[in-house]
Amino acid sequence: MHEFGVMTYLLQAVEEKARELGACRVLAINLVIGDRASIVDDSMLFYFDAMKPGTLAETAELNMRRVPSRFYCSQCDSTYVPGKDFCCPDCGAIGMLTGEGSEFLIESIEIESK
Amino acid sequence: MVVQQVKIVKNILAGNDQLAEHNRERFDAAGVLAINVMASPGAGKTSLIVKTIEALRPQARIGVIEGDIAGYIDTEKVLAAGASDAVQINTGGNCHLEANMIQKALDSLDLEQLDILFVENVGNLVCPSHWSLGEHVKLCLLSAPEGHDKPVKYPELFAVSDVIVLNKVDLIDLVDFERPFFYESLQALNPGAPVFEISCRSGEGVVTWVDWLLKAASELPTSLTG
Repeated sequence: MHEFGVMTYLLQAVEEKARELGACRVLAINLVIGDRASIVDDSMLFYFDAMKPGTLAETAELNMRRVPSRFYCSQCDSTYVPGKDFCCPDCGAIGMLTGEGSEFLIESIEIESK
Repeated sequence: MVVQQVKIVKNILAGNDQLAEHNRERFDAAGVLAINVMASPGAGKTSLIVKTIEALRPQARIGVIEGDIAGYIDTEKVLAAGASDAVQINTGGNCHLEANMIQKALDSLDLEQLDILFVENVGNLVCPSHWSLGEHVKLCLLSAPEGHDKPVKYPELFAVSDVIVLNKVDLIDLVDFERPFFYESLQALNPGAPVFEISCRSGEGVVTWVDWLLKAASELPTSLTG
């Protein structure tokens, strides 16, 4: 159910932007989705197909670029993708969450205009 | 025909965030501290609200927006405990509350008559963390029997919350809850967030939590303590 609400707002935002730019068709929607955004690609595509008819994005492609959730280790001064806990796999120290992995963005759209 | 690629870089949920900002303006105008309570089903969201109402009555007037898939059991509970006002939202199946639902619920609440508003989200550790409602405080509640590993399994909710409450601590030794693992995970996800250990059943820790809440309410521009 989560992706239904997300798709409603996504299509609204894309439609608004495309109209503002005078587009007659949206060819592609490019998203950046972090792993902590709790979004399932298949579910997004399911709702996209169900909800795009009648919008400018009716024939558009939906592309999702995933970003893994990364933590920072100050001991090693490096970042890592955690495993069973949040400790650094190299030195065992507790790392710190970084912004990488929380992305939830419309990066760009590809439009066609007359 | 011209084909062009247009950079946008905009939050997918910007439409929801905009409505949330309007809600926030209404809370601020009335001087009401709004708290979004998020947890899994059965963690004790309603119990926490009930305990808080009992502890603060009549010092603070507390309103509640109850979000559930169905029913109005919780609304009855908080009104019986002495809530000044309560509104039930039934999402029908939606796994979280959204800003537009709060906007609608606010039309049936007199914010001027409240000091604190609890919004009890739908029981879920995943979706609510992504939908801003306009709240001042995001509260994540976990109960000890759910396990110390929840922050590792559901990192986002623990990362975005302003305050974390660990409930049912009276059961902590019975359920093998490992405090060090829990606190280390929180340190990685959200090092600055205050954590309150309480038991809504025994009342342990409730005073400390309520003191923090009153202080947060008093730091609003217009507030119950002026």
